[in-house]
Amino acid sequence: MMVAARSRLGFGLETLGAWMLGVLWLLPLLYAAWTSIHPAAFATHFDLTAPLTLQNFEAAWQAAPFARYLLNTVLLVSLILVVQFVLCTLAAFAFARLRFAGRDLLFAIVLLQLMVTPDVLLVENYRTLVQLHLVDTILAIALPYLGSAFGIFLLRQTFLTIPQPLDDAARLEGCGLLARLWRVYVPLARPTYIAYGLVSVSYHWNNFLWPLIITNSVGTRPLTVGLAVFATTDQGIDWSIITAATLMTSAPLLVAFLLFQRQFVASFMRAGIR
Amino acid sequence: MVGTGPDWAGGRTALAATTADAVTGAAIRLTGVSRVWGATRALDDISLHVPPASFTVLLGPSGCGKTTCLRIVAGLETATGGRIEIGDRDVTALPPAARGVAMVFQSYALFPHLSVAENITFGLKARRVPRPERTKRLARAAEVLGIEALLNRRPAQLSGGQQQRVALGRAIVAEAPVCLMDEPLSNLDAQLRADMRREILGLQRRLGITMLYVTHDQTEAMGMADQIVLLRDGRIEQDAPPATMYAEPATTFAASFIGTPPMNLFPLVRRAEGMVLAGTDGPVLAAAIADAAVGGIRPEHLRLAPHGIEASVAHAEYLGADTILGCRTGSATLLARLPGHVVLAPGTPVHLATDAAVQVFDAATGRRCLTRPHRMQQETFA
Repeated sequence: MMVAARSRLGFGLETLGAWMLGVLWLLPLLYAAWTSIHPAAFATHFDLTAPLTLQNFEAAWQAAPFARYLLNTVLLVSLILVVQFVLCTLAAFAFARLRFAGRDLLFAIVLLQLMVTPDVLLVENYRTLVQLHLVDTILAIALPYLGSAFGIFLLRQTFLTIPQPLDDAARLEGCGLLARLWRVYVPLARPTYIAYGLVSVSYHWNNFLWPLIITNSVGTRPLTVGLAVFATTDQGIDWSIITAATLMTSAPLLVAFLLFQRQFVASFMRAGIR
Repeated sequence: MVGTGPDWAGGRTALAATTADAVTGAAIRLTGVSRVWGATRALDDISLHVPPASFTVLLGPSGCGKTTCLRIVAGLETATGGRIEIGDRDVTALPPAARGVAMVFQSYALFPHLSVAENITFGLKARRVPRPERTKRLARAAEVLGIEALLNRRPAQLSGGQQQRVALGRAIVAEAPVCLMDEPLSNLDAQLRADMRREILGLQRRLGITMLYVTHDQTEAMGMADQIVLLRDGRIEQDAPPATMYAEPATTFAASFIGTPPMNLFPLVRRAEGMVLAGTDGPVLAAAIADAAVGGIRPEHLRLAPHGIEASVAHAEYLGADTILGCRTGSATLLARLPGHVVLAPGTPVHLATDAAVQVFDAATGRRCLTRPHRMQQETFA
């Protein structure tokens, strides 16, 4: 009875803790939702009878080229995702199933990249891109992230779990190297692709520091940078409009989160974000 | 390679058009094939000939190199030395897909993301066989194997026996002249295994393909093979039809590997009159050829008699149709397979006699000695 009572108490505490963390995480979002649909006067004044309005969204949309920013972000995220998929698949397959001299050493070097925070390389990357004459392009935002060590590692581990006889069977049936990769390995690794894709999209949708440094025009700025520029210089501190803009820019990701909730959680559980 | 189709397929379409589902088998010939990994020799100078349209079994204990041998024929493994020919064509340097072989894997190797129909036609698609032909062959294979109702399912939704059929289906739609099987029945239960054994044999006979079949189960080998190749430690121990393998094992290893229970092997020593079982005073079991040798008698060739080898019952195992009687004599325990239900308490003294010739093997090498057949002489003791 003691044990039962204690475990029930423990369960109660855990539930309480989970709720507190959840509410804490949700508060800014709730605040943004509240502020964005009320006139500015109610930004710090909570009154259930306050008049509702969509004016803030309209004002935010008019005040900055958010459509362009959105397009930039979508282009950026798609570019990164597609190139990462292609590069990581090929590299992971080579590391998992091909035999060549120095393979393990090369793989160790790729893994080393996991230990380097991208922010450490900001200045060096900028210098490189200046030399390539790519500053202020969407490609420049994407370039440092295209060869993802995390993606290579994740896919290699998945490919290693695919039974060798399947590979043998495909080989016997007349599939070459690329055909086997395309018809056997890629379809069987689909859950990994979904998980990795979700992590990649959410990371690069939210990435801020590097795009801030490398971009300086409306034509290349992604949403995060656009929002920051908008919030600091153009608007001062009109919280209603800022929160409306924030909600608008994060909406696509929020919708995606609701649609792919389970895969999202599973993918973040697999490893850290890169 | 992909667009043009392999040249073994050349005469096949015409043939398939005339007869419903016949493919002609091709011979397989290995000459001095070796496979070495560092210091270990998985295969050591293997030479063998598999006649066209025959059913040949590679038999041996685990680790004897039989699977390596099969994978070398398939081209999934490369030989370190030697030459592999399929249908008079040197395929030693050819990739697996160009060799004209189909293969069934121990784990079946069905693609989990494809339906049964897609699994079966996987290779045809990869070889760019046109769709009408694919549909035709799929329908035929499904009918032959009785899996028409399963075509839209995924492998995970099938039982072991059904998966096995799908794997067979994938092997036969290729209409390759050679089919390789790597312990295809080891994951099935005993009853299903017996059924599939008959089915695979029937399929091979009907299609006329050459079958090279790997197993460690000697009853499978005895029941299916035209020719058994017994391997041990990467070498061929004996290459013979099942009946020869059973009646005249070339070595003590072959003698002890084949038969349930296997052949009784016991030490023989020389006496003035001939060789007798060590630790006994007779009777003479073989002509004197050396100071020491190994004798062999099949359990079913032993019977209880008023005279013969003196022994005492150690244990009895009743199997229904017959009884396996373990008898201690001299320095050996002999197993006798006696018809019916024999009730004898342990310790009962008995005499064992045989009408068959005792096999004699060299004590040092284990090789069979070519001796004049010697029959146990009953009258001496009568």
